[in-house]
Amino acid sequence: MTKIMLYSAFAAYAASVLCYLLNVGLKRRSLQTVALLLVLIGFVIQTTQLGLRWNAAGFLPVTNLFATQFFFSWALAATYLYFELRYRIHASGLFVMFMNLLLLGSALPRDPQLPPLIPSLDTPLFTLHIIFSFVGYALFAMAFSLGVLYLFQRHIGAHQLPELSQLRKLNEEAIFLGFALFTLCMIAGSLWAYIAWGTYFSWNIKSVWSTLVWIFYAGMCHAKFIRRWQGSGYAWLSIAGFGVVLFTYLGIGLLLESNHPLE
Amino acid sequence: MATDKTFAQSLWSWCCSLKLTIVLASLATLLTMGGSLVMHFNPRVFSGMDMQVLNDWWQLRGADNLRLSWWLPAAGISSVLLALNTLCCLIDWLGKVKTRWRKSGEYCIHCGFILIVTAFCWGGFGGWRLPEQVLQVGQTLPLPELPGHYLRLDHFQPVIGDSGRPLDMLSDLSLLRGDLVLKQEQVKTNTPLIYGGLVVVPVSFGQRADGFRFATANGIIDLRQGAQLALADNGLDLQVLNFWPDAARSGAGQVVYRGDQLNNPAFEFVLSRAGQPLWRGWYLLREGLPQELRRHGVILRPTDPLGRYYSVLTANYDPGAYLALVGSVFIGVGVWLALFSFYYKRARGDRPDVA
Repeated sequence: MTKIMLYSAFAAYAASVLCYLLNVGLKRRSLQTVALLLVLIGFVIQTTQLGLRWNAAGFLPVTNLFATQFFFSWALAATYLYFELRYRIHASGLFVMFMNLLLLGSALPRDPQLPPLIPSLDTPLFTLHIIFSFVGYALFAMAFSLGVLYLFQRHIGAHQLPELSQLRKLNEEAIFLGFALFTLCMIAGSLWAYIAWGTYFSWNIKSVWSTLVWIFYAGMCHAKFIRRWQGSGYAWLSIAGFGVVLFTYLGIGLLLESNHPLE
Repeated sequence: MATDKTFAQSLWSWCCSLKLTIVLASLATLLTMGGSLVMHFNPRVFSGMDMQVLNDWWQLRGADNLRLSWWLPAAGISSVLLALNTLCCLIDWLGKVKTRWRKSGEYCIHCGFILIVTAFCWGGFGGWRLPEQVLQVGQTLPLPELPGHYLRLDHFQPVIGDSGRPLDMLSDLSLLRGDLVLKQEQVKTNTPLIYGGLVVVPVSFGQRADGFRFATANGIIDLRQGAQLALADNGLDLQVLNFWPDAARSGAGQVVYRGDQLNNPAFEFVLSRAGQPLWRGWYLLREGLPQELRRHGVILRPTDPLGRYYSVLTANYDPGAYLALVGSVFIGVGVWLALFSFYYKRARGDRPDVA
């Protein structure tokens, strides 16, 4: 059942990417509508699966690499839907959904079995920490996509993409929302660390890099007020910031030993 | 005079400037990025950082390894300067709060950040840590940095799942000042004992052999240190003076303590009649019952070791912990206010100010 739902969501997202790709060449509004519909179908399947897994486990199952990739993908789809339904970003969806496809695709070969819960993770603070963290990451991924599209639009140009000012505005919104949610993730994580391990900050590499992510995006929230960092500069910062996020999420979990291992 | 004022104003503007914020945040970020990798690949120097507060670690390890640790004070100074820059911005905003009240959310976050940096420095210099302290039931642990304060383990119960997996460890702890109980708490996973800046969390638990079960002529008995066995038939008393889980007999015939792991258990007994000691000596279970005991008709056949759980606890004292909590409340409130304000401004079509 898990695998069927997983592959169904993947197929829906893959078909939506195909529709967005065809739309680049054919420029048909109906293709955009179908693509959006497919993203919605994939998201509903993923949400149902997440709900079933949560119910079966009795806790938010985001404790191993498969589960974090799955949850990250769900959060990215939710983020995209927010921007699409609110701002009609249309063709920008190609890049975002392609990223989502890669994310979910890399989760497919992994074991979806629910792992037993480590006792210290059995707290609502962990659930909040995880939700805010991955929705924050998804918004940073969205900002990364919008940054790339901004640079593409500025240097090459495409009719189907939103205007530069719109892309800039959306990028700033994604960064701001991501920073706000990631801040809440840090607060929940610090409170949890204090009651579980007796310190609200650890010198473990994961905690250090999470703090760096926070400082980096706090800096970005200030940089948007400085003229030379607006536009292209902000787009490049969004790209660099997502590099820091990826290293914090995957690089540390997979390559280095930390207190947030990914298996 | 006019020049002085202009200079003061310029200095203040510089202290509040966004560009200074970006420079300091970038500096702190880049130093910590590089430093974190140095930290990860040099565990010999850095692995104990969480076992001590920052100042203690620096004096013990950091200062002696400046080639690897120089980035830490540099990043620390950058962060403190960033907090000071944030404080200047906050003071500047407070002066203009009537016209810029819609930025309350953002400045709550600024205030929270300043409080957390202050709390972190306070904890790093004024706190202490006692990592992984072993405590048996009934035992007390003095807190050296809080004279007259003790932790006492009143009861311990591990929670083991059906599969044998440990699920939790329940330690009934009392915090004492002299004989006065300041606080009692059942400490378990995610439920620490918190008192002032002191926090006590469970780390792990274990079992230590503290005696043996024996079959005797009169049935089964458990012998631990201090136990007394009345041998009813001949008016003899057998008292346990000591139990060592692992002991050995030296060349001179003396019994020596080897460790807490159950390996070669030994009892030190006193055999007496009407309060008069007849014999005192060691019984190493692997050697068999001593001749003297057998001669007096003592029958002891060891069956099982007796164990007693112990709890491993970490006690940390951080005087800045409450300040950090207040800071996080400010940040949390600020985030929600900033979110509402952001959408409000977006709805009005406001664009960010350009510096």
